[in-house]
Amino acid sequence: MKFPVDKKTVSILAMMCILLVAGAPAAFAADAPTTNGLNNSAAIMMITIAVALLLAIGMLAYVLIGAAGYHVEQLKKNAQTAAKPLVIVALCMFTSTAFAQPGETAATAEVTSTTIAGLSKSSFYLLTGLIGLEVIIVLAMLIFLRQLLAKEKPQIVVEFAEARIPFYITWWNKLNAIRPVHEEATITLEHEYDGIRELDNKLPPWWVYGFYLCIIFSVVYLYRFHVSHSAPSTIQEYEIAMVQAEQEKQEYLKTAANNVDENTVELLSDASALSEGKKIFASTCAACHGSEGQGTVGPNLTDDYWLHKGGVKDIFKTIKYGVPEKGMKSWKDDFSPVQIAAIASYIKSIRGTKPSNPKEPQGDLYQEEALPAAEAATAMPEKKLAKQ
Amino acid sequence: MLDHATELETSAIHPQKRKLVQLEHFFYDNNIVKLFTYATLFWGIVGMLAGLLASIQIFYPAANFDFAPTTFGRVRPVHTNAVIFAFVGNGIFMGVYYSLQRLCKARMYSDKLSKIHFWGWQGIIVVAAITLLAGFTTGKEYAELEWPVDIAITVIWVLFGINMFGTILKRRERHLYVAIWFYIATWVTVAMLHIVNSYEIPFSYFKSYSGYAGVQDALVQWWYGHNAVAFFLTTPYLGLMYYFLPKAANRPVYSYRLSIIHFWALIFIYIWAGPHHLLYTALPDWAQSLGVVFSIMLIAPSWGGMLNGLFTLRGAWDKVREEPILKFLVVAVTCYGMATFEGPMLSLKNVNAVAHYTDWIVAHVHVGALGWNGFLTFGVIYWIIPKIFKKELYSKKLANTHFWIGTIGIVLYAVPLYWAGFAQSMMWKTFTAEGQLKYQFLETVTNIVPMYMGRSIGGTLYLAGAIIMIYNIYKTVRGASIVANEAAQAAPLSPVVETHGKQHWHRWIEKRPMQMLVLSLVAVAIGGVLEMVPTFLIKNNVPTITSVKPYTPLELHGRDIYVRDGCYTCHSQMIRPFRDEVARYGEYSKAGEFIYDHPFQWGSKRTGPDLARIGGKYPDSWHYNHMYDPRIMSPGSIMPAYPFMIENMVDTSLTGAKIRAMQTLGVPYPDGYDKQANADLVEQGKVIQANLKKDKLDAAATSEIVAMIAYLQRMGTDIKAEHKQQTAAALQTVTGDNK
Repeated sequence: MKFPVDKKTVSILAMMCILLVAGAPAAFAADAPTTNGLNNSAAIMMITIAVALLLAIGMLAYVLIGAAGYHVEQLKKNAQTAAKPLVIVALCMFTSTAFAQPGETAATAEVTSTTIAGLSKSSFYLLTGLIGLEVIIVLAMLIFLRQLLAKEKPQIVVEFAEARIPFYITWWNKLNAIRPVHEEATITLEHEYDGIRELDNKLPPWWVYGFYLCIIFSVVYLYRFHVSHSAPSTIQEYEIAMVQAEQEKQEYLKTAANNVDENTVELLSDASALSEGKKIFASTCAACHGSEGQGTVGPNLTDDYWLHKGGVKDIFKTIKYGVPEKGMKSWKDDFSPVQIAAIASYIKSIRGTKPSNPKEPQGDLYQEEALPAAEAATAMPEKKLAKQ
Repeated sequence: MLDHATELETSAIHPQKRKLVQLEHFFYDNNIVKLFTYATLFWGIVGMLAGLLASIQIFYPAANFDFAPTTFGRVRPVHTNAVIFAFVGNGIFMGVYYSLQRLCKARMYSDKLSKIHFWGWQGIIVVAAITLLAGFTTGKEYAELEWPVDIAITVIWVLFGINMFGTILKRRERHLYVAIWFYIATWVTVAMLHIVNSYEIPFSYFKSYSGYAGVQDALVQWWYGHNAVAFFLTTPYLGLMYYFLPKAANRPVYSYRLSIIHFWALIFIYIWAGPHHLLYTALPDWAQSLGVVFSIMLIAPSWGGMLNGLFTLRGAWDKVREEPILKFLVVAVTCYGMATFEGPMLSLKNVNAVAHYTDWIVAHVHVGALGWNGFLTFGVIYWIIPKIFKKELYSKKLANTHFWIGTIGIVLYAVPLYWAGFAQSMMWKTFTAEGQLKYQFLETVTNIVPMYMGRSIGGTLYLAGAIIMIYNIYKTVRGASIVANEAAQAAPLSPVVETHGKQHWHRWIEKRPMQMLVLSLVAVAIGGVLEMVPTFLIKNNVPTITSVKPYTPLELHGRDIYVRDGCYTCHSQMIRPFRDEVARYGEYSKAGEFIYDHPFQWGSKRTGPDLARIGGKYPDSWHYNHMYDPRIMSPGSIMPAYPFMIENMVDTSLTGAKIRAMQTLGVPYPDGYDKQANADLVEQGKVIQANLKKDKLDAAATSEIVAMIAYLQRMGTDIKAEHKQQTAAALQTVTGDNK
């Protein structure tokens, strides 16, 4: 018994390694220029596709060589000429060298083109070409495989005439490198534990290549985040998102009639605005100011006494920036300016409604006329903490 | 018959010694297996009931009963600890004690140790349940038990280890079967995790502070937490799978080499993946990235176990249709495969950004817990009971019913929570075109309340299935007598190790249990060491913030109440650097803010909003009213009420001890501050008392509510002081007044 590395696997792996070296030229050959192929998400994507296709090729090659070998054996048994299957095997080999060669030349070609920064045209065409080539190889292999399987089928039927094995089962078994149950005796290991025996089945090829793929992913991931720094750090990601959000917001505000602030806000009197204000008041403000604005934790909003003045602009400002030290939070991240205007207008509309169980007056008596427009802008609102 | 087979095989292997081999006769201890089986069933029901209660409390707050020990924050740790350490724990021991004896062809090393292990473990569970309900908790998830219980666990675990290794050493089977590799790795890794994570400084008979703080505490805790999943819920159960699945299916294990590769790869890689619980937190980026990539690399080793299980059933699928045991095992292994694929996907940062803190994670965990652990346990119990009682199961039909009810229960549990998690996360992140958050936090909660109800229905079904099982087992064992000592025979180990032809290289270690133990320890130690040592030693991993100061004595008491009542089970204290979180909660959290947090309280779930910057957001009276009855201040809130905090006083006799413990941990209180602390405590309490008075609210200066308010108002505010300092410094520079 030996470890699951036979010659076939080795040769396939070697093939894949060569391709891999060729497949990631933009990534690894470009140490010299400041911008690296890995900075380019298109390059990353293409390389990933190339590697994935490569794995598919590896898997197919594995199955194909196995199938071809089996076929040759069958033919030998039947004492026929082996020329035809040999051609197929040769073709398999040819394809493997064929796709290895452009890879090698590509690697040398890349050395001369390192002076081009970023994802140069040549890298792009190289990668596209590589992917194209891989697709062709995959297709070719699939065709070969189909031919081989077509040849194999009658053989199987002859052997197990009583139980015809459907194509998808053989395919499934190939994919997993499963030995048929009736061959189990040949791979049963000699040891036994409390009646439990173990088989010496090979590792499912897709599992092995999947494992390799995960490891490759991990290496590239760490390289991008911590060596080339071509992927954003957590904080950079945040900053990018904030800039983008700000742009979107500005774009929107340019076109929207939403651009009110504490200097420009006017008392709204239309019913829809007031009902919108009432709705928000009931769901949010009522917790502290009472359902009718009579005041509980927060002050009474229906009387004429105000802690921070009672004009619509003042109320707008108090809602917008809050008075954090007294427990009124800033609501500007929760509600839009139009919504805040609606709330402020609603609050103005409930003045003098005399709800039951009102809180005692707090602050100064406020008279509507006494407000000069300039005064509203004197007190600087507490600014939000700057980003660190 | 089995013994006969053994004899035949022995003679086949040693033909030249045919006459010399004397079979030894001995007995398997089935009694201990029975005890652990009954304990598994009992604690399974208890744990599931606690879970059901907790799930109902989430949509029906009155089910908290306004009574401290039955509030969600205390019931939830009881649920998690009961199902993990009591239900699955006893399940592990049940399976290990049954299979180990048979795989080693030896009785357990010591019946006395077996008994001590059994009763010791049950005693620990009882004490654990009582102390958790009484509010003694370390505040670290899945490691909530306090220091005396931690010590008891260590002792019992070591005794279990001695018993296990004693058995392995006197085995009559030269090589260790793959199940035993998993048992060994489990034992050594759980010991390591438990000891390292339970490093804590006691300040009273039942309370301690974590030895680590903030970022480091978080890293150690999730290294532990993730690997509690790995080495308590996964590896021992893989061991059980490797014994009971081929047994039940009567099929050979699919691939020996797959066993080898997936075993070593699994234990080596698993240990690294802990930081994926801390993505986008204040943990350094490099550690987060390690968590990501090792989680991705974990897919294949995990699936190796699933494949080996499912492929072993080749040629036996017709039996699966008939045999409820196999049905349970198949669903268990499939759920394992699903959960171990979903886990790595959740570790990708972009997926994690959506799923973390939501019910998605709860759903994910329960696919593993209900499917993999629960169903595997049920399958094993249905297998073991008829074997040790030498009697057919009372009703296969009932077992089938259990299977179907349980399966439907899992689906009904998981689907609503996946939905809830995704929907809530999307609502959190939605902005209006004007750039405002579209939904208040509370709206996102009330929106998913129907899903919470659906989840409880699923859980109830699952529990109903378990009750059916207990009835079935009861009917089976009633009137039957257990084969307490099951006769067996095997050839003794010959001193000469014989080899036949070329051996697989791995056979070398399979006959050396001690080397196996050491090598497993090495494999699991590497990841932890490489992640933790730099985080502890390299200073710039946790940049200092000068304005961050230790908690005042009153705040410290408040924080202990926060920990005691399990606020962390629903509230995070970690604002991730996302636009929506910064808009909703304030500036994102920095590593330097948590350096005095023993233990850290970052949390892992946001059933309620994040509290990292709750300080100063609302007036004291708001908090008072809100704690008294959350629905006064936030109509529709699902938070439990804490009226008892207003009557209860903090235990000021402990203040000195708390300060001294903190000083031991390096928190820079001045020398002798423990003597002065209570005076400061009262002084600060009076300020809050006066504040409350203004709003006509009465509270004693040393009441728990006042301590709680002090802590809440402090949270996340230190960094603002730093900002002011910086501004002042900048002004000085501008005015040329720089000294």
